[in-house]
Parts: sequence; structure tokens; C-alpha cells
Amino acid sequence: MASRTLSVWEHRKVVGLLVRRDLKVKYQQSVLGYAWTMLEPLALTLVYYFVFGLVLQADRGIPEGTPGGYILFLVAGILPWTTFGAILSEAPRAMLTHSKLITTMKVPREIFPMATVGTKFVEYVLTWPVLLIFVFALGGRFSWEGMLLWLPLAVVLTFMFGLGVTLFLSSVNVLLRDVERLTRILTRLLFYGSAILFPASMVLYSDGVPGWAKTLYELNPLMGIFQMHRTVWFSGFEELTPSLLALTSAVVGSILMLIIGYWTFRRLEMSVLKEL
Amino acid sequence: MASTYEAAVAGGPVIEAKGLGVKFAVNRRRKRSLREMFIHGKKRDPNAEGDDFWPLRDVSFEVAKGDCVGIVGKNGTGKSTLLKMIAGVLLPDEGKVSVHGKVAPLLELRAGFNDNLTGRENVYLVGSLHGMSEKEIDERFDEIVDFAEIKPKFIDTPIRHYSSGMKVRLGFALISQLEHPIMLVDEVLAVGDKAFKRKSYEAIDRMLANERTMVLVSHNERDLRRFCNRGLYIKNGSLALDADIDTALAAYNEDTRVEIEERKKKDAAKKKRAEDAAAKAETVENAPAAGATEAEAAKADPDKGDEGKGGDGKDGGQAA
Repeated sequence: MASRTLSVWEHRKVVGLLVRRDLKVKYQQSVLGYAWTMLEPLALTLVYYFVFGLVLQADRGIPEGTPGGYILFLVAGILPWTTFGAILSEAPRAMLTHSKLITTMKVPREIFPMATVGTKFVEYVLTWPVLLIFVFALGGRFSWEGMLLWLPLAVVLTFMFGLGVTLFLSSVNVLLRDVERLTRILTRLLFYGSAILFPASMVLYSDGVPGWAKTLYELNPLMGIFQMHRTVWFSGFEELTPSLLALTSAVVGSILMLIIGYWTFRRLEMSVLKEL
Repeated sequence: MASTYEAAVAGGPVIEAKGLGVKFAVNRRRKRSLREMFIHGKKRDPNAEGDDFWPLRDVSFEVAKGDCVGIVGKNGTGKSTLLKMIAGVLLPDEGKVSVHGKVAPLLELRAGFNDNLTGRENVYLVGSLHGMSEKEIDERFDEIVDFAEIKPKFIDTPIRHYSSGMKVRLGFALISQLEHPIMLVDEVLAVGDKAFKRKSYEAIDRMLANERTMVLVSHNERDLRRFCNRGLYIKNGSLALDADIDTALAAYNEDTRVEIEERKKKDAAKKKRAEDAAAKAETVENAPAAGATEAEAAKADPDKGDEGKGGDGKDGGQAA
């Protein structure tokens, strides 16, 4: 285990190379390049603002006087979700697309899922200028608590969970291609289960939802993680801050996911290599 | 299994394989292997044992520094699998292989190339993936492009526009620049046209002259005799012979000859059986057609083999 970690560290350059290659290929082929990274979530935000905000009035869950209002709430949730959704959609193929390299080059195999997640991390960082534009335009509020506590926690947990999922899905999918289809459905489900479009409090304070469903909802680690992404801008509003249960399940869930993902990856490694 | 070759070279073996074996699951869906991995782990249930296929088992050998080892054997006897295990890209189910030194895998020359990147970008990418520093690639870049015979105007074109020959040549040119002490070559010497082939032979000669170790899998006897000083003959998934290349090739050829003869015998027997059967069928077929004319029986004749002809004719005549 320790020697394996060391060997991954020794090959960190390879991860960098693969990340750089992926970004290069992605941005080289389209005219608008970077603009797409922004346009897609922006278009989504617009649609959701009309449908959920204006038509269905999901904005009533946002407390009065929140700096930035419902739009900032949406943007701050949708931008990290776009990244996370992209991780989920690429995770099952993280090993398959590199099958030629994997079967000729002796590198620790974890490198390939790591490169996939690494690419997404860079893309996430690239969404920040857009987010900041919204923060300034809508009068969002900076807070030390948000910047120093919630932001690092949210980012670390998001990518920890993402890496765990990628390790898991990329290896299992080599042996069982159904995983790819299943992941697509689960992504959709998780989108609504992670309170991206409306504050979690709307579900948790609702009378129509049974108690066990609420607990289950709070136990979804992603729900807590994406709440944190928004608490960066809305710290101090209790309805928008993750509850203790959500916070715990986010932290424990991410760590568990990473452990399960890595364990599965190592366990299946031999079969995966034969199958590629 | 230590051969006399190691004794001549100081220091331990560069490649050391002990009781190497690899197992593939046949005749079952992937689902089961997955379930098995999770539930049973390394212990397999005894019922599943029958489904396992060992392309290689109990293979042990050592390769000393500077050796060039040729692996010969029939298709599907696990030659490439063995090479992959030495390269460390396939993990053995049994035994152990230890390799001392960096390995240059000439297994798949186009590996790592991305079609959307230019030739130049690909050279830097794959070169770095194989552990070359940027400076090293800078220094050798012209040589690589020159060796690959790629016109300077194409080097900055995405390689999806390259011909397959160009890609493979570029791959070979790049990998032949690696200074790794161990080279694993899988049938890649047959790259490119005649002129390029000659160049690649020279490149390999140059590499070998440099006290490098090479393991070569090939069906080309001339290649094997040219480069190798030692041969491993793999037969039915196990190491049948570890000797010098000529002995190994002779054993392989002898086995092939025996096999061809056996097949010929079998074919002849089969042919005979088929003819006999055809003759019988003819008899049965013709029997009901009692009223058939002589001409009809005669018409059927040209289809028959020469041996059966007489008999058939007789039968047909009888039926008529």
C-alpha cells in the first residue's frame, strides 16, 4: 500500500501529462473553446431559473434578504454540479479509453482515473471567473467563514468523492458494461437528490415528506457537499447551512467512497488488465 | 533453469520469472468473474475450476544482461501473454516475475498517440510518458522525425491525417530512442516498407550492441536468428525448451512438421471417409429411382472423386 502510494507519487508527472493532453484536445477542437465551459451551465441556470424559480416558485425557500438571491443560489450550485456530473459521466470510461496505454506501459493503474478527475478539477477552477462575475453582479457577500471553512471543505470533499466514484466505476465498468447506463440514470437521480435547484430546507421542513425519506435525504453525502458549495456565499443563514447530520454524512461518505473505490479498484485490477 | 549464459555475465539476471502462470476464465460471462472477485476473493470455488484456462503455467527462466531472447511457439500458446507479464501490464495469477531496470515496450507502437494532437505534440507526450525529459526529446526530435521519414510540413498536422504507416514509423522512431536497458518486442519488426525495415533492423542492432537486453516474440525465423542468442520454445502453455535459438527453432520446426504430417494423415482419412459416405448416399439415393435411365446415373459420375468413381458407377448400374 505504502509502496503503491509512493509509486503513484513518482508518476505524478504522467498524471499531469494526461491532464494537459485532455484539456488541449478538448479546447483545440472547438472554436469557442473555453466559452463552452461557461455557456453550458449558464444556459442551464437560465432554464432552471424560469422553470423552477418563476413558474414553480422554488425561490420561496430562500430566506428574505439573502445577498444574491435565488439566481446566485442556482449558479453556485449548478457550476460545481456540472463538474461533478462530468466526472460521473466520464468515470466509467476512464480505464477503457486508455486501454492501449494501460496494456503497454507499466505505470500504477490508478493514474488513469486520477487524470480524469484531475482534468475535471482544472475545469472546475476555470468556472470560478463566471461564478465571481455573478457574485459581483448580484451583490453576493464574501465572508471569512465561507472562504476559509466551507470552500476548502466543499472542494476537497467533492473531489475526494469524485475520485472514489471514478476508481470504482472505471474498474467495474470494464468487467460489466451495464454500469455505464446505470450511472447515467443515477446521475439524474442524484441531481434532484442533492438539492441543486431548491434549498434542502424545502424538503426537510416539508410536511408531505415522510420522516425516513428526510433522513435518507440528509444521509446523501452529495447533498451536504453541494450545500457547502453554496454556504460559501450564504454563511450565517441557517436554512442554507448543512445540518450536523448532513455535514457528518458528507465527510464520512466521501472518505468511505474513496476507500471503497480504491479497494474495489485494487481488487479488480487483475481481471481488468486481462479484460482490456 | 539457469542456463550457461548467465554465468558469462557478471551480476544477477535482469529478468527473472519463477513459476509464472496466468489464468483466463472461459465459457462464462463476465458477471461471474466479478462476483467471484468480490465474494470468494483469491479462493475459487472448486466447481469453477473446470472453466479456467491457463494459457501459461509454470514458466520459469532467467534472462541475463545483454541477452537477446527469442520466444517461439505456435499461435495462442501464450507468447504475447508472457511478454505482457514481463512488461508488468498483466499480473500473473501464479508465480512471480521480477524485472531489474526500466522496460521499453515495443508492444504496440501507436500506444498513447492521440489522433487529435499533432505529430510534434504526440512525440513530446508519448516520450514523456515513457520517462524522457523534455530536454532529451528536444535534442532528439529532429532525429526522430528524420528516422520516421515524416516530411517537416506534416509534423505539425494532427496525426489523424497521417497514414497508418506514418504513425507506426513515428512510434518506432520514438521508442527506439528510449535508453531503457530492457526491450520487449512483439512482432513489430515488420513495420513499414523495405527501406524502413532495413533501418529499423539497424536501429535494433545498435541498441543490442549497447549491452541491452531484448525479448523478442516473432514468427519470422530470419529475425529471430539474426538478433537472438537464446530461444525459449513455448508449447501448450509451458516452457518446452530453453536453449540457444537454433535449437529452439529446430524443436519448433520439428513439432510443426510432425503436426503437419499428422494433419495430412487425418485429412486423407477424412477424405476417404467422406468419399465412402458419399458413395453410400449415392446408393441410397439412387435405389428408389429404379426407373431412372442409364444416362442419369452417368450424369452423377463427374461429381465423384476418382477413387469412388468405379464403385459408384457399379452401384448406380445395379440400382438402375
